[in-house]
Formats: sequence, C-alpha cells, structure tokens
Amino acid sequence: MGLQTNGLSLEIVGREITGRPVPGKPRRPAGPYLLGLPALLLSCLLLIPIGVTVVAAFRTPGGFGFGNFAVMTDQGALRAVGNSLLWVLVTFGIVVVGFFLALLSYRLPAVTTFLQPALVIPFAVSVLVSGATFRLLFDPTPERGTVTAVWTRLFGSSPVWLGPGLFWLVLVSAFGWTWLGYVVSLFRAGLDAIPDDVSRALTAEGVRGWRRLRALEIPLLRPIAGVVTLTVVIAAVRVFDLILIVVPGSMQRSADVLGLNWWRATTSGDDPGRTAALGVVLFAIVAAVGLIGVRGLRRRRWAMPVTVVRPDPSLGRSKPRRSVRRFGWLIGLAVALVWIFPAVVLVITALHSPEEAGVRGWWSASGLGFSSFAAAANVGLFRALLSTLIIASAATAVLLVIAVPTAYLVAWGGLPLRVGRTVMAVFVVLAVTPVQMYAAPLRDVIDAAGLAGSRIALALVHAAAGLPFAVLLLRSAFASAPPALVSEALQGPVRQSAVLATVQRTYRPALIAVAVLEFALVWNDFIVGFLVSGPGTTPLSLVLWGEARQFSASSGPVAAAAVVASIVPVVLMLTFWRTVVRGLTTGSRP
Amino acid sequence: MAVSWSGQELRAFHKVLDGLGTLDYPVEVVPLGDDISTAFGARSTRRPDIVMLPQPGLVPRHLGDLEPMPDDLAPLGQARLWKDLLTHDGTTYGVPFKTAHKSAVWYRPSVFEQVGVQPPRLWSEWLTLNRTLTQAGITPLSLAAGDGWVLTDFLENVLLGIAPSVYVDLAAATDPRPSRQPQFAAALRLLGSMWSAPGVLAGGVKESLVQQFPDALIEVFGHRRAAMVLASDFAEPVVRSFAADPKDIGLFTFPPMSPGAAAPVVVGGDVMVLPKPTRDDARDLVRRLSAPDAPDPWIKEGGFLVDGRVSGYSPELTRLAVQLTKPGEQLQFDLSDQLGRLGDINGLWRVLTDFLIQVGGRGGDVPGAVDDAIDELRRVEES
Repeated sequence: MGLQTNGLSLEIVGREITGRPVPGKPRRPAGPYLLGLPALLLSCLLLIPIGVTVVAAFRTPGGFGFGNFAVMTDQGALRAVGNSLLWVLVTFGIVVVGFFLALLSYRLPAVTTFLQPALVIPFAVSVLVSGATFRLLFDPTPERGTVTAVWTRLFGSSPVWLGPGLFWLVLVSAFGWTWLGYVVSLFRAGLDAIPDDVSRALTAEGVRGWRRLRALEIPLLRPIAGVVTLTVVIAAVRVFDLILIVVPGSMQRSADVLGLNWWRATTSGDDPGRTAALGVVLFAIVAAVGLIGVRGLRRRRWAMPVTVVRPDPSLGRSKPRRSVRRFGWLIGLAVALVWIFPAVVLVITALHSPEEAGVRGWWSASGLGFSSFAAAANVGLFRALLSTLIIASAATAVLLVIAVPTAYLVAWGGLPLRVGRTVMAVFVVLAVTPVQMYAAPLRDVIDAAGLAGSRIALALVHAAAGLPFAVLLLRSAFASAPPALVSEALQGPVRQSAVLATVQRTYRPALIAVAVLEFALVWNDFIVGFLVSGPGTTPLSLVLWGEARQFSASSGPVAAAAVVASIVPVVLMLTFWRTVVRGLTTGSRP
Repeated sequence: MAVSWSGQELRAFHKVLDGLGTLDYPVEVVPLGDDISTAFGARSTRRPDIVMLPQPGLVPRHLGDLEPMPDDLAPLGQARLWKDLLTHDGTTYGVPFKTAHKSAVWYRPSVFEQVGVQPPRLWSEWLTLNRTLTQAGITPLSLAAGDGWVLTDFLENVLLGIAPSVYVDLAAATDPRPSRQPQFAAALRLLGSMWSAPGVLAGGVKESLVQQFPDALIEVFGHRRAAMVLASDFAEPVVRSFAADPKDIGLFTFPPMSPGAAAPVVVGGDVMVLPKPTRDDARDLVRRLSAPDAPDPWIKEGGFLVDGRVSGYSPELTRLAVQLTKPGEQLQFDLSDQLGRLGDINGLWRVLTDFLIQVGGRGGDVPGAVDDAIDELRRVEES
C-alpha cells in the first residue's frame, strides 16, 4: 500500500518480505472510486445549475459574448460589488483581531474560564437573530435603544445609529459578534497544541515578541487560519439576511451587496442573462478569495505528535504567578460579560409584553411576562420549528452518509495525485459558491419535478451545499492520522472496512464537528430557504423575518421568536463545542 | 399563500383563517413584506398558490401570470374603482379582501386644544397649523420615511388634490412620464414646503429616515413627541395598543388643496389573485375568504375596512368607511402601484427618499431639491 504525500511515495511493509521485489506498478483497485459516486451525484445538484447560470451569463441574443456583463457598469451593481469586497475585507479584519485575542488569552491563562460559553453563544445563533439583537441595541429612539439611551445620557444627544453611513457600524458589530468567538476558539486550540519543548526551546534561544510570532506561531497556525478564513468568507459572502433585517428600507440601497442586488434584479423582472452575469461576477470574486484563503488546507495539516509517555508536569508550560492568574481571570470575566450582553438584552426584551417592548427598552420594569412569546406563537412559530427540525436533521444525516466515504477516498483511497488535487480544488470553489449561482435554475428544476415545497428537496439542497466544506474538513482530519495506524488498518483482508472502523473510532471529533456545524447552519439558514424553498417549508428564519418587517413596534415578538429559534443551536453548540473545536483543528488524537 | 403583512396584522389574518372552520387542506401563510411582488414574475423563486397583493395596481401588469377568477367570485372584482384594475376584457383576475383609506391623519386632540386650533380644512390651514404648533414648542408631524410607501402616499394625496386629471392620466398611461408633468413638480414643491419648514418633523429628517410606519405612530401616541401623523386606517390597532392615553386619539381626513376643490381620497387595498397554475384548493380558500363575514375577527381587532361596508367599525374608521362610499368624492387608487417599476422601491420610493434628504439638508432650498428629484425620476423612466 502506498502513502503519498508532498509528491513523495512511501511503500509501507507491514510484514516480512518473502519473495523478491517484482518491478512494475501495483494494481489500483477500482472499488474505492465507488465511494465517491454519491458525492458526485449530490454535487451535481450544484454543479449543473452553476453551469446553467454560467451559460446564461455569456449567452447574448447574437450568440455568446460578454454583452451581459454590461450590467456591471450600472451604478447600483458597482456599489454592490464594492460593498461585497468590503465585507471580505471585514472578514480578514476579524481573522486578524481574533488571532491576537487568542494570543492574548494564551499568554494570560485563566482568561478562558468564562470566555468559552460567552464566545460560543453568538456563534450558535443565526445571522438574522444577531442582526435583530443589534438593531434592538442601536434603536434610534432613546426610550428603546440601549446605545442611544446611554449616549444621550452622556452627551445630551445621540447620532442616528441606523442612519446613513452609521448603519455599517451596526452591521459589522453584528457580524463580528457572531464570528469572533469562533475565530478566537480555533486559534486558541491551535496555540494550545504547540508542543511545549518547541516553545521552550525558542524561549531559551531568546526569541521573543514579533520574531517569535513569525518563527513559531504564524507558520504553525497557518492551516487553522485557512479553515477560519474559509468559513468566515463563506459567511461574509452570504451576508444578505443581515442587511435585510438591520438596515431600514430607505437606506438599503447604500448597503446593497451583490447578493441583494442580484435578488432584486431577479424579482423586478430583469433580463435573466444580466442577473446571471451578476451572479458570475460575485462567484469569481469569492472563488478567488476562497482559493487564496485555503492554501493552508491543501497542505497536510500539522498533525499532533502521538504522546506515548505522559509528559512530566513539571516540564509543562511554566505556571504564571498568582497575581497574573487573577488578572487574567478578571479580564476574562469582563470580556465575557460584555460579550454576552447583547444576548441578555434579547432575552429580557422577549420577556416584555409587545406593547411595552415597542415603547420602552429592556430596562423598564413593567409589562414583564410571556405575552410576546404568545404573540410569536400565533404566527406559526411552532409549525416552523418542526419544519426546521425535519429539514436540519435530514440534511445532516444525508451529508454524513455521503461525506465520510468521499473524504476517506480523497485522503486514503489512493487517488492519483493530480485527481486528488483537482477534486480538492473543485470542493474549495464549491464551498464558497454563493447560493445565487444555483438558486434560480435549481428552483425551476424542483418546480418542474413537482417537488416545490417539499422538505426533502430543501434538505437535499442543504446537504449538497454543505458537502464541500464537510469533505474538506474530514479529509484534513483523516489525512492527519498517524501513518502507522492507517497502514496497520490497511493490512487486513477486510481492508476498507477495517479502515472505516478505525476512522470511526479515531475521527469522532471531526465527524461531530461536521454534524453539529451542518445542523446549526441549516437550522439558522435564511438565504437557501428563502431562495429555493417553496411555500410549505416555511423555516423559522422566514417567520422571524416576517415578524421583523416593522421592527421596533414588534420588538417583543421579534425577540421572542429569536429566542425560541436560538435555543436548539445554542444548546447543541455549548454541549459539543470542545469536540467541535478539536475536530476543526487538530483532527484526531488516538 | 403569500401576504405582505407582519406582526399584528399577520396575527389578525391568522384569526380570520381560524374563523373559517376546519379546512381539508393545510394553509401556510408566507409573509413576504414589501417584496411581495417577488411572488410572481418571470423567474420567481417562490410561487405561492394565492397572493394577497397589497398593490392592486400591479394586477393589469401581470395578467399573463394570473388565473381568471371563477365565475361566482368575478362580480366581487367588478365593484366601483376595483373594476378598472381587476377586470380585463370581461375577465376578472382578482377579488378585493381589504380596502385601505390612505388619506387619514391621526392626531392627538389634547395638543390641538392646548394651542386652541381645529383640524385643518384646507392645505394652507394645515401649514399655518404647523407653524402655530412649532411656535408653541410642539413638533407637528411625525413621518415614517423608513417605509417608502408612506412618502408616496403623501405625494399622491397632494397630487390628487391639485390635479386630479393628471393623476388619472398617469395611472392609465402605458408608459407614464411623471417627470414631464409640471403639476407633478408642483406637487413636489408643495410637499417640500411642508417638510422643509424648520422644526416640523419629529427627530428631523435623519430620524425620520429610520422610522418605520408603526414607529411614527408610537412617536405621536406613545412618546408624545409629535402632534399628528399621516397614516391609513390600518394604523388603528397600533395607535390603540401603544397610546399612552387611549382617550387622546383623533382623526381628520386629508384637506382639500384649494377652496372649492374636492378633498383627495387615495384608496389602496389587498386583493387576492391566483398565480398560474392554480388548484381547486386555492379557489376554495379565496371563496371562503371573500364571504361577507370572513373578515369579522379582524374587524374586531380594528384597522380593517371592507369594500362597501360602513358598519361594525370604531367611530374613526366608520368616518373613513363613509367617505369611501359617498358619491361625488375624489376617490382614486394608489398611483405608485399603477406606475409599474417606476413606482416601486427603486423608483418613486427612492426619488422621494432622496428628495426628503435634500429638503432637510439644504435648509429649505425646495426648488433645487425639486429639480434634482425630477432629474432622478427622468433617469428612472429612461432606464
């Protein structure tokens, strides 16, 4: 059995050699290729509509050409492109800030005691919920908006936070609140995995500060930076619902992003070719960013050395002094409180009656009770809850069944090097493909098949959309397995199943990470459900959005619906967070 | 079924559905908000069985996408006013569910008593009233500029008040060019003169821009920071549930623009249409919803007018309902719905939003702002 890595081919011999070596190539069994078949079929759900969109973009009345791309000279479209690029920049900003926060918490132990749950909760809730939360906080009426109230108290008058230009602050705050915790957790896990002897050796050499960062932390964390950047870029490109819920109608034009612009164009009956061209431009931007951002994923991830002997605790990281520990503990508590504050505001707002929440902020003491929850329940919240549960569970199950064999095939199936590379590149591009690229053709197909409004169709689309990232993640985890373990598993007569059993045992963190992330992603999704689903599959996010149309006056029911919609993903994330982070970063520990 | 309602209105509609008794098919209500026009269209991504369309003016533009109404329901779509929009070549494509009176101004009587004035009977009196209130330290007007349709409603009232014939021509034109109508610019000037007067708008233009329709009502009745607000009949439940003083609620209708002219009455409404292809279940639901007593639960909640019915409402709404059925009134359907793309979120909504920002930011250079708005409108017409 050959192991291939970095162009080097290793032949592992697991037993005594009995005959002479025979020249020639070993036969490659075709069996493993079958493992990739389901993934191929599922990916076609995306690939074919993407192809249709690309063709439509280049088809002009007189044949093929770039005629449709004249849409890009349109002022609105140009502004949308600019804003979308701005969002990608915001992403990089968040990754950098997250890295330094992680470094800070690493150098000041005990910070993480409280920080973990506080950082995870925002990550678990949907974009729509965090948008609603920040719109509550920044409401321009001093009786309702927390920030406006504080500002007015301090300086006599407050800027209109949702007004022209300033709404960016609210948007970026909401986005950052959602993603920063995730970024910090991942980087922190990576830092924790740096072997102590390495870092001690560097310290002994007197390498400090920036030089140490450049020599040690940055190179070692590059693969993790790849994972992080990829996920956050995907989110930034999907920014759509955040703008719909945060920015008042009169300002939405200046907050326009390509996704929204595309959607408005499709709905106002623009020429399909032009809207397809918009989609292709969006896609090109994102694919470029994605491919740059995931170079870390392509390399073999830096695997954890297998510790055979428990390290002597006295040789571990030196324990900081007690005063430093206490200081770190206090800082951690302060940051955690600030970070959890928006969620607290949301919950308390939900506990006010609709009348009270519409007039006064969360700090008012009257009108407490559950009437906002009752009001939210009256617009079909619980039906939507059930619908969402079915869709998310089905999508997660389908995804796992298909992604595991595929990832195994890519990691250990002995694919020729070039094929493996190509498959990976395709998956990276698919992972960041915006929904707009496949929504319209897919929707037509679902309609034509008479599946409009079927939950299973929607779940399949979700599974297809989640597949690329799941495969990338699982493949990294599989590839980081200790080679001895794999070679051993590959020796037996029932090779594939033995390997799969080992995989199951060893890679549970990565599997759980994929399952939890997919479930939460589908549960919180707005854009796919909005663009692809038909009537009959109203997901939670659509109910929430319907409630939020007249935002301030319905603060109470909106907050209540948001709280109800967040319970499941928050509990799920808090329960599995450690495992998820392990699965996302260090792959496996035997 | 796609609807544009949310919050309280959506809950009221659910009560209406519950009141229909048990149906042998599930009804799913999808709230699409202002983007309800996405429910049909060449490449619609959502095709519901029934659309509750808040812009009846869109019906003539989408005849190809709609199923004709069954014969037993067709007469409902042929009532006065509705006929021009819903019936085409003898075939009816929609049935009215709800009527909206868009020329109502809700105010707090206590403030008017405080400065000793009556509701205005003429546009010029209204401007004087605003000055009187400002001098007494009271902000007269709350404007929900965060919702574009509030601004177009205001403009339509002024235009219908000064030039009904221009209004009707624009509504009927296949390729409307409002930027070429001097009366349209005149209406903008009048509007600008009201909006740009110092201290008239609660929170100034900046805060008006982020105020949605219910926020403006809360501003008047909840926080009591302004005296009045132009809002349709469906503002009623919001006004009543957020009013700090439930007895301090009054209503007057939009005054005539000049002595001897008729007062403008802009009418809107929600019509039920059936996108192609339809099913029997959908026809059945439309039939049930158009029964005379179907909307009773919503009428109890308030803020609901039925075409041609004048009883069973609160006193304020009864006045509006009577005005809608009186002969000889200057009734016209909402104009922006009938202008197609020109009247929607990227057309007139945007032009008026920018116009408001201009008159607010230029310290009252109304003529300049009007010229810019007309230029922008021309660009939209030509695109």
